[in-house]
Amino acid sequence: MSVEAMLQTIKLLLPALMPSWRFFSVIAPSPRIEITLLKTAKDTPDSWQEFRPRPAHLSIGSMLKRMFYNARWNEALFLTSLAERLSSNPTEHSSQEILKRIKAELVRNSFDSFDSAATPHLQFRLVFVHREGEQLQKHVTFISPVYGSFGDTDS
Amino acid sequence: MSLDYAIRLTEILLALAFIQQSIEHFRAPRDEQRLFIPRFILSILLLFGFQTQWVCLALVILALFILRRFQGPYNGGSDRMGLLVLCCLSLINFMPSSLWREYVFGYLAIQLVLSYFFSGWVKIKNPEWRNGQALRDVFQFSAYPVSEALRTWMNWPRLLVVMSWSVILFELLFPLSLMTPTTLIIGLVIASTFHLANACLFGFNRFFWIWMAAYPSILWLQQRIFIVEQL
Repeated sequence: MSVEAMLQTIKLLLPALMPSWRFFSVIAPSPRIEITLLKTAKDTPDSWQEFRPRPAHLSIGSMLKRMFYNARWNEALFLTSLAERLSSNPTEHSSQEILKRIKAELVRNSFDSFDSAATPHLQFRLVFVHREGEQLQKHVTFISPVYGSFGDTDS
Repeated sequence: MSLDYAIRLTEILLALAFIQQSIEHFRAPRDEQRLFIPRFILSILLLFGFQTQWVCLALVILALFILRRFQGPYNGGSDRMGLLVLCCLSLINFMPSSLWREYVFGYLAIQLVLSYFFSGWVKIKNPEWRNGQALRDVFQFSAYPVSEALRTWMNWPRLLVVMSWSVILFELLFPLSLMTPTTLIIGLVIASTFHLANACLFGFNRFFWIWMAAYPSILWLQQRIFIVEQL
């Protein structure tokens, strides 16, 4: 590990040793990750779907089960952090982490209407939801390049 | 509660929390498995008290690799608390005297108290928390409610005001629970109920287990202060 990498790691460790504990001090705009599947890399997306939408209902039993195993939800919380990082301080790490997890989901074939042969390209965007007065507003803060669903960046 | 007993209890609770977290990564990509399967094994060793000094040190080194892997905490505040508990336990093992061990364990206890107090302080300063709007926003559009059905809680403004003030007062008044052993037990029962509610409503299950791991430190510190005052 280089000196620079060590310093970077220590910088990541310090907030844990001297925490500020300011949970939910303000309710900041909240990110959603949306994805679209495209036939070609040059297509313009006409519809976006929310990635990992929450279920309509969750029983008390399921909530209690999640006390012991909540991998999928905790990954969703990590995706939220990545989306916030990507908006405030864009890095290759954040976008690649999001992309990797979207691709993994597509491979598991749990995403609606995914057909790797018909729509082999994908793009994601970040939409931030916030309240202005009584109205909810949505703002797109980031649009990714077009990627091959199973390959590298196309453009 | 003796210092040694409180430390051992912390090791056991931290090991259980790390085991729970590690299992959640068993189906993750291989590079994550390479970090969390060793963490699982080390946590089992910590649970049974095998070479705790070196196991804790190994867990700290592994935690640094995990921090690098995710370029920060994977699970925000719960990872930070986990790191704090782990670093304190590791430091305790290498302290030259019992007094220094007490300072380090006391630091963990104070951070636990501050984790509640400062969270309450930043909320009471915010008018949107005082009038219930902040909690309404949490339910209406934040990423945290675990189901769409929970978003309908935004339609219960009076309930949200009561909930907001309950959270604010509990967090701000938590330090007062240190006054007697009984009030501290009551405070910790309320605190764990609060974490349980957060786990059910917002999916913060890791917070519940990791904050529990820090509770022995505050139980020990309260007794330490209480006994010194009686002498």
